[in-house]
Amino acid sequence: MDPSSLNTAEVQRFLNQEKERAMMNEMVAKLTSVCWDKCITSTPGSKFSSGESACLSNCAQRYLDLTLIIMKRFQSMQ
Amino acid sequence: MDFSSMASQAGGSNPKMPTEKFMDHFKSQMEQAYAQKFIELGGKCFDKCVTKPGSSLGGSESSCVSRCVDRYIEATGIVGRALFKANQ
Repeated sequence: MDPSSLNTAEVQRFLNQEKERAMMNEMVAKLTSVCWDKCITSTPGSKFSSGESACLSNCAQRYLDLTLIIMKRFQSMQ
Repeated sequence: MDFSSMASQAGGSNPKMPTEKFMDHFKSQMEQAYAQKFIELGGKCFDKCVTKPGSSLGGSESSCVSRCVDRYIEATGIVGRALFKANQ
């Protein structure tokens, strides 16, 4: 990307795109931190056990389920 | 990362902000976010690998730290894929 070619509209589009990416990265980072604490209980080895990687994957997907339940709960309150 | 301050600097209040300055600001924000992750990862691996701090970091402790960093990056990938898989 050549920075000198940016005009305001392009800058805005670029910012929105980066904002979305940052939000996604933020969520992945937050979840990694939480799921790491839940799933990795022993000292880290040279490879994840199948249980550990399954736990990490499940942890992320269950978090999404939880988000859905909370959203529905809030909607039903309105 | 604070995008709102960047957006207002790039658009509204000062539309003629030099692009170079804007990109510098953007880069420093990225570096800040990166440094934050770095500090967090240090905490995680310190908890796992240095359970009884001695007078220096032992060989097994330093190899634990490098394994820990590798595993944490791998964990980030697993979590990311799990999220995107569920989103589709």
